[in-house]
Amino acid sequence: MLSESADPVVLSVWASWCVPCRSEAPLLSKASRRYDGEVRMVGLNVRDSPSGAAAFISEFFPGATIEHLADSGGTIPIELGGSRGVPLTFFYDPGGELRFLHYGVIDERTLALQIDELVNG
Amino acid sequence: MEFTLLAAAAFALTGLYAMLWWEARHGNASRCSGNLFEVAITSAALGIFIGRLVAMILDGVNPVTHPADVLLVRAGVSTVGATLGAIAVFAWLSRRELVPMADGVAAAALAGLAGWHAGCIARDACLGTASDLPWAVAQEGSAITRHQVGLYAALLFGVAAVVIAVWKAYRWPGFGVPASAAIAAAGMIRLLTQAMQPSLDGGPVWFYALGVVVGVLGVVWFARARRIERQN
Repeated sequence: MLSESADPVVLSVWASWCVPCRSEAPLLSKASRRYDGEVRMVGLNVRDSPSGAAAFISEFFPGATIEHLADSGGTIPIELGGSRGVPLTFFYDPGGELRFLHYGVIDERTLALQIDELVNG
Repeated sequence: MEFTLLAAAAFALTGLYAMLWWEARHGNASRCSGNLFEVAITSAALGIFIGRLVAMILDGVNPVTHPADVLLVRAGVSTVGATLGAIAVFAWLSRRELVPMADGVAAAALAGLAGWHAGCIARDACLGTASDLPWAVAQEGSAITRHQVGLYAALLFGVAAVVIAVWKAYRWPGFGVPASAAIAAAGMIRLLTQAMQPSLDGGPVWFYALGVVVGVLGVVWFARARRIERQN
């Protein structure tokens, strides 16, 4: 998916049991609306139950244009160069080259700056 | 990562304390009896707490069902909520001598804000929008050079703090004027730098403009009151 994407990708790794993920979810929703059509926003739900993930999405991502994928084993973030911890935010150029990786809760300034790097870089 | 915010807070406290220390040696404390440093840090801390609660509510996170989330300051603090909250707490703590206390803390509050913004060095968060100016810098691995907006704001707040402190010390402008001038300066500096801040929604520009208007009106009002008092 990353290598085939014509748009930059922001990949957020989250889980419904992760308290910090809950707090950064509104920022990701806001970013998905602000950069709709310019950046592809993807959520990767890890080590979670389908019902927990569904409840989280309906509560914290209403109206957001974010594709959500599931990784019950939680191995994908490690294969992508991240860690087992959540949240993580990967920023990819079109074609799938990793531009920036943010560990932990992301703030609005960092999110806006790194998306600007993807869009205008 | 939250520790870098604590480092920025330490920069802010240093700026606040250093200015109060200098001003105490130039007559600042003679006009009010309260402890300016304690009142200022209490107002700032509770202001941040209120700002965080407001941000949570606006983002749809219920603070009653998710109380631990209030600790995640990095996820967002409402500037409007934090500022109004800090002012409300300050007004309540210094209610018996509000204007002298506000004058007393005016320059130090600006110095604290200078320290907070300078703390972007510790947070690796100084960069703003793209720029071709000679002093613009790029983040590692990028070709896009950017404004160092955190440092611009720190410099402007620092200059404003020194100007108001010197003004108070050597040419007392009258009760209420330093506090009003500080509000106007803070609003103007945020207004000037906001356009260079990376942001998803542009920030509360209206609030900064309101701060400028309120501050300027305050300066005019208190200066006029002083003139009338002198004439009588």
